Amino acid sequence: MKPTKHDLSMKNNEGTENVPMAERRHFLKMGLAITGIFAGGTIFSALSVIDKVFASTDEFTDKYPYKPHYGMMLFQNRCIDCERCIAACGETNHVPQEGYRTRILMREMPDAVGLKREFIPVLCNHCNVPQCTRVCPTKATYKNPENGIVMMNTSKCIGCLTCQLGCPYNARYFNEEKHAVDKCNFCFDTRLSLGEKLTACAAACPTGCRVFGDLSDKTSDLYKAVHQLERPIWVLRPEAGTRPNVFYSKDVTAVTFK
Amino acid sequence: MKNYCAIIAITLSTAMPALAAENHGGDVVYTKAVKTVLFSHKLHVEEKKLSCDLCHARNFVMQSLKAQENDDFTMKSMMNGKYCGACHNGIMAFASNTRCGDCHTGVKRGGA
Repeated sequence: MKPTKHDLSMKNNEGTENVPMAERRHFLKMGLAITGIFAGGTIFSALSVIDKVFASTDEFTDKYPYKPHYGMMLFQNRCIDCERCIAACGETNHVPQEGYRTRILMREMPDAVGLKREFIPVLCNHCNVPQCTRVCPTKATYKNPENGIVMMNTSKCIGCLTCQLGCPYNARYFNEEKHAVDKCNFCFDTRLSLGEKLTACAAACPTGCRVFGDLSDKTSDLYKAVHQLERPIWVLRPEAGTRPNVFYSKDVTAVTFK
Repeated sequence: MKNYCAIIAITLSTAMPALAAENHGGDVVYTKAVKTVLFSHKLHVEEKKLSCDLCHARNFVMQSLKAQENDDFTMKSMMNGKYCGACHNGIMAFASNTRCGDCHTGVKRGGA
């Protein structure tokens, strides 16, 4: 018996508003987004979203709102915890010993096949929907309207540390000297505004783990790294809904050395 | 007395290979070109049962940490079959451009 053919274009789309969240997630795991429901909810029309950035909505990947739209890609398997990035960051941005703007997390799996240890560099994700700026009572932390960097106005900071609670990435520390919360600002004051193209950490990285660039520029290394069908990319804690601009991936092929 | 010395000399010389295997170099933690790269003699000699002359003195001299004084002690050299890359070529052992975190143990762990 031949299977019944459904020409969806001839059917009435009943709208996706009532699709339960669990169902959407189920489809997303297969790399599909539900675009319509037909025939009393029995048929789902779905579209591949593998080429889209999972963390961002469709309209957002099509158009980056800032110019330049700074972001970073971290090739997780390339990090070797040499901590040159942390040293370079501390030197450039005068980060005290007890503070941090970027850190490196470690995961060990002794029973894993092959590689048994990996490092995960973390920093401020410069989210498009930042929680920290939303909760700041004095607007001391804000999203720069031009380049989207989440910045600090130290003179306005009262040290209430609400932003630390708001940040899902634990990217903020209290700087005793400044008597204000301090955080990564993609080296905007110390490097980018002075004409440098890379942040201190990205420039110091010996393995090419950190790719920094402008997402609104289609010719940039970062844009090319993020928008590839062959390469799965992800963000940390996507459930926080903050739409980060820091992406993670792993090299599918082996690392090449310059 | 002379005989006694000769006996000691003989026992020492016969015991040497066994001693060499046990008195290996232990953990060697390289600090150049990047910090904390671990070479474990325990893993290579005791667990993998590799002989000393597999690496010494063809790829590495007997003195530990001597290799990192060379300018070409880099990942690129290893990819070209030098130093660790003589075995870590993807055929004898995992290639030196894979599994980075196995040897690069990280500053946090202090290289151990």
